Amino acid sequence: MKYIDELKNISENPRAAFEGAIASGKKVVGVMPYFCPEELVYAAGMLPFGLWGAAIQANDSKRYFPAFICSILHTTLEMGIKGQLDDLSAIMIPICCDSLKGMGANWEYGVGNKVPVINVAYAQNRKIEAGVGFTASQFRKIRKQLEEIAGNEITDDALAKAVTVYNENRDAILCFSKAAATHPKEISAQTRSAVLKAGYFMDRAKHTEMLREITEELSALPASDEGYLKIVTTGILADMLGFLELIDKNNMVIADDQIAQESVGARTQTPVTEDPILGMAQRLSDIEGCSVLYDLGKFRGKQLVSLAQEAGAAGILFVLTKFCDPEEYDYVPVKRMTDAAGIPMLQVEIDQQMKNFAQAESALQAFAEMLRER
Amino acid sequence: MADIYTMGIDIGSSASKCLILKNGTEIAGSAVIAAGTGTSGPRRAQEEALAAAGISMKDIRRSTATGYGRNTVEGVDAVVSELSCHAIGIHAVFPDVRTLIDIGGQDAKVIRVSENGRLDSFVMNDKCAAGTGRFLDVMARVLELDVSELEEKSAKAKNVVNISSTCTVFAESEVISQLSNNVDICDLVAGIHRSVAVRTAGLVRRLGVVEPVAMSGGVALNGGVVSALEEELGLTIKVSPLAQLNGAYGAAVHAWGQLEKETL
Ligand code: SF4
Repeated sequence: MKYIDELKNISENPRAAFEGAIASGKKVVGVMPYFCPEELVYAAGMLPFGLWGAAIQANDSKRYFPAFICSILHTTLEMGIKGQLDDLSAIMIPICCDSLKGMGANWEYGVGNKVPVINVAYAQNRKIEAGVGFTASQFRKIRKQLEEIAGNEITDDALAKAVTVYNENRDAILCFSKAAATHPKEISAQTRSAVLKAGYFMDRAKHTEMLREITEELSALPASDEGYLKIVTTGILADMLGFLELIDKNNMVIADDQIAQESVGARTQTPVTEDPILGMAQRLSDIEGCSVLYDLGKFRGKQLVSLAQEAGAAGILFVLTKFCDPEEYDYVPVKRMTDAAGIPMLQVEIDQQMKNFAQAESALQAFAEMLRER
Repeated sequence: MADIYTMGIDIGSSASKCLILKNGTEIAGSAVIAAGTGTSGPRRAQEEALAAAGISMKDIRRSTATGYGRNTVEGVDAVVSELSCHAIGIHAVFPDVRTLIDIGGQDAKVIRVSENGRLDSFVMNDKCAAGTGRFLDVMARVLELDVSELEEKSAKAKNVVNISSTCTVFAESEVISQLSNNVDICDLVAGIHRSVAVRTAGLVRRLGVVEPVAMSGGVALNGGVVSALEEELGLTIKVSPLAQLNGAYGAAVHAWGQLEKETL
């Protein structure tokens, strides 16, 4: 299938994409999770580059973070300390969990000022008008910082165009995910993850084009999901190959996801407003289904239940990122809601350094056996 | 009609278990070898169980492998997760049991069994050795005891010592420092059992306590842990007479079920 190999390549070798962009003379800005205003980077003519950690051993980062901090932060800092991210023009670090709160300062100490930090603060009370206003004020501040880094102005026109590019990409992600849900023979869990993840390392407009093409090709094919067990995944990330292999091995298909790295952000478009910054801040207020954004009504569980019901899923996988407090806190209310809805949910703890998936293998196999017996 | 034999093989991390079932109900032979996956244990367990049943491999009509090393057993007809096999096994022994606690060499699991004997839900401990057979092995070594002596010692405890660490490594040093304070070994062993019970009870509560509750796995052989757990949960626990063989039994019953399905 066209583009699949290319996207897999990008997602498996983000460094090549990074170096390629630098070699082409483009400035690259590192973007840490979650929901950074990437449109501003894009509108400034730079490449936003996702930094979601890596499957590497963290050593030097342990001087700054204790061992019980998630590997996204450890390994991103490790790459920074090792000088592997020196070519970044800046790094955007949102302050949306307790661990991320220390990331900016740790970066400044560990990496120094060769890669300046852009702190990204969102209003905790993001739903109220004042909250949207606060987030917008932060985005305006970031706009100025990025203009300085880019060496050019970010015009409203360029920003409006960037908003459109990102909105289209979000739509393309959801369409692809839907098509993949009925075509597990063509799009395995591993492929699905790679196709989605590649978007963090490339021009979003190009990613959209590729996603549309793949989706179109899939739509022309008959469904291949017979005999597959439909599941919905939820969590921060679910891109570890060993884990995805288990989903494929047990003939499961991801019917939908509530994974922060995958569809969570894609589900909420930026409203088109006269002032694009306000629209972007409004989007932050509208996003649902993520443990890192203040969720007063615990809507995540409700959303998860309806995603599973709409997708006709037999069960849910709660993919718990090791040492992630927001996820640990969310697990209990989410589990209560899925239990009340009668949807079986399995928690699997994973981290990027995991080499041995034996326990996860037993758990996933048992879960599949259990769901098939129902 | 000739007898029909099915075999269940449960390859764990520290022991290999094999059980042969005659006509779906009668245990014809079984073996537990204290050597797990990647050793000669699996082969020896099969050979011993066959010898005990007085039959040879060609008499086995169906076989199911389970356990941590299930994918490494050659020539079996089915590979099923240990969680499903434990549910099947305990249902065949105690049909009314709704919650099974299985503590093996390296992991602990709590399984909800449905009325018709199916796996309904489950929780497993994390990768930590605390609260598993390994934890008891380490503690017994520190106390210069054999694990089989732990039950008897804890029964004689007068003032149960509180072991506050849940981590095996920290608990080990805590036990050593208690030893150097001349604390009575029986009190210490009872404290160790209580610490396993507290940890396991947490896992049970995570799934939700639905009675009747049963226990299987190697640690179920230690009555000290069982009573500490009964106290902690405030209920009576049925101990499977098959203990370590529960998974292999479930696998053999599974193999029988497959055979029945086929001939229906
Ligand atoms: S939300 Fe969780 S996974 Fe993400 S950075 Fe914070 S602790 Fe790490």
